Amino acid sequence: MEYSKIEVVTSLNKLDGLEKALSAIGVSGMTVSQVIGCGVQNGTYEFEPEKNEVMNLLPKQLIMIVVLNSVIDKVVDIIKKELYTGHIGDGKIFISPISNIIRVRTGEEGEEALK
Amino acid sequence: MEEKRLGLPSVISTSVGLIVATSCLMSLGQGAGALGTGFIISMILACAINICTALSMAELNSLMPNLTGGLAQYTLAGLGSFATIVTMVGGYIVCQAIAGSVECAMFGNAINTAFNTGIPSSVYCIILLVILIAANLRGIDIFAKVQNVVAYGLIGSLIIMGLIGMFGLGTGEKVVQQMDLTNGFSDSFAYLGLAFFLFIGCEFVIPISRNVKNERRNIPLGMVLSLIIICVMQIFVVIGMGRYTRWEDLSESVSPHILYGTSLLGFVGTLWMILVSIFAVISTVNSCISFLSYMCAGMAKINLMPEFFLKKNKHGAYYVGVLLIGLIMIAVNATGLSTSDSLSFMILVAIVFWMVSYVVSNINVLIFRKRMPKAPRTFKVPLGPVIPIIGIIGNIFMIWNIDGDPAVRNLIFTIDGIIFVLLAIYAALWCKFKIKKPMFKPVEIHEVMAMENSLYLEAHRKTKKKEGK
Repeated sequence: MEYSKIEVVTSLNKLDGLEKALSAIGVSGMTVSQVIGCGVQNGTYEFEPEKNEVMNLLPKQLIMIVVLNSVIDKVVDIIKKELYTGHIGDGKIFISPISNIIRVRTGEEGEEALK
Repeated sequence: MEEKRLGLPSVISTSVGLIVATSCLMSLGQGAGALGTGFIISMILACAINICTALSMAELNSLMPNLTGGLAQYTLAGLGSFATIVTMVGGYIVCQAIAGSVECAMFGNAINTAFNTGIPSSVYCIILLVILIAANLRGIDIFAKVQNVVAYGLIGSLIIMGLIGMFGLGTGEKVVQQMDLTNGFSDSFAYLGLAFFLFIGCEFVIPISRNVKNERRNIPLGMVLSLIIICVMQIFVVIGMGRYTRWEDLSESVSPHILYGTSLLGFVGTLWMILVSIFAVISTVNSCISFLSYMCAGMAKINLMPEFFLKKNKHGAYYVGVLLIGLIMIAVNATGLSTSDSLSFMILVAIVFWMVSYVVSNINVLIFRKRMPKAPRTFKVPLGPVIPIIGIIGNIFMIWNIDGDPAVRNLIFTIDGIIFVLLAIYAALWCKFKIKKPMFKPVEIHEVMAMENSLYLEAHRKTKKKEGK
């Protein structure tokens, strides 16, 4: 099976634009969670001169979509351009392979479960 | 989040309004007076080179979006503090102060053309400047509501006048004269500097990009289309001028646009152009004083100019910047700037620095492509490095051909060289003793983006105080 999971951790105000941009290229299906977290800056605000010594977890959102491997590059490119502001806090994208997908209602597996 | 309401037509109209000013007509009159319709070649070349730079700026904006400081911040991230201070303080603040002074001189000339008062034009300039400084200090933007109206009034007038002249529909007497006064291509190159002045300023539209729908497409496209529209409009005007106004009269006139209006439509044309240009000049000079005070404050915010530029009076005006810029303009005008030769010369002195800042902008694109090839760019200039390289070479070529007379060119370079040296000394001292950072070390993009936050300077000031204890 040739699907991958794309997980994006980003700031809270980026969802609308991302939804529209992904819908425009035919991506359907998205899961969004409100999370807290930080990256290598330990949750330091961009204007602060000194990095936090201890992690300071900030509100974020985790967006998860599953796409065909053949369109991963295109989807990731759109996500990057949509989220990019140049400021710290733009986020990170994690890509991992999917071994199987199962639709609970019908028991379909693999590609059939996503159609 | 700010609502995105502006479409492509708004971007084009804003950009055109920001670029076209009455002082451009001085360039147009001088250039057309010298080369006839051969000046059109100069204009097309200057427009093409500026399109290359506009595309480069659009890519810079995509990499560092929504910055109020624009070129200064791009250069800080690209080339470091020294280059930023020299090119932005020189390229923008000094240049704009001179260009604003030229614009003001046009006001005085327009008054005397209309009323022939016998009072030197510079007196009217100084009176206007005092009024505008006072208004800006009170935080009053006299022209906030009518700025677009007067800008479009000037542009609309030029289009109509150009078309009337081009199609020979004027009420004035047509003149019979040789249209193209050039002996070859090289004559057109000699006036590239003047032609360049007709197209500068499209980058001022970048700060509105956050309000533009589909800004990734509309900002670069809007900038390019506005430059092309201005080029076409001014071609109409040059052709119209050739049909109704003697070239030698144009080159000697201190208000060539008013002279053209008179030649084309008699008294009606005179009155029309006087009214339109007086309002346009007032609006432009007012914007210049206000914009430059904000520019100085912006440079102070990123710690490249003294903090006193951030001080506001009780009306919310950056009063130090307003006073300084206003006084510089008064001093320049008091030296008797109002003759057409002086105006042209001052324009050329000013725009060398502007061209340098455009060269730097194109260089920044290449630097960021090397340093951050994978950073997402919602707009990337096509054809690889070709267009930025054309922009660099084109602007350097225009600097080298700033004037056809070698003696005048050397004088321009001497004056600009002196300004450059003074700025370089200020920049070196500032980097060494104030910000204590290496002069040529670029600042990380995320750090430059962070400087946009109003809390940045405050937070860093507190840390320095703590360290000082």
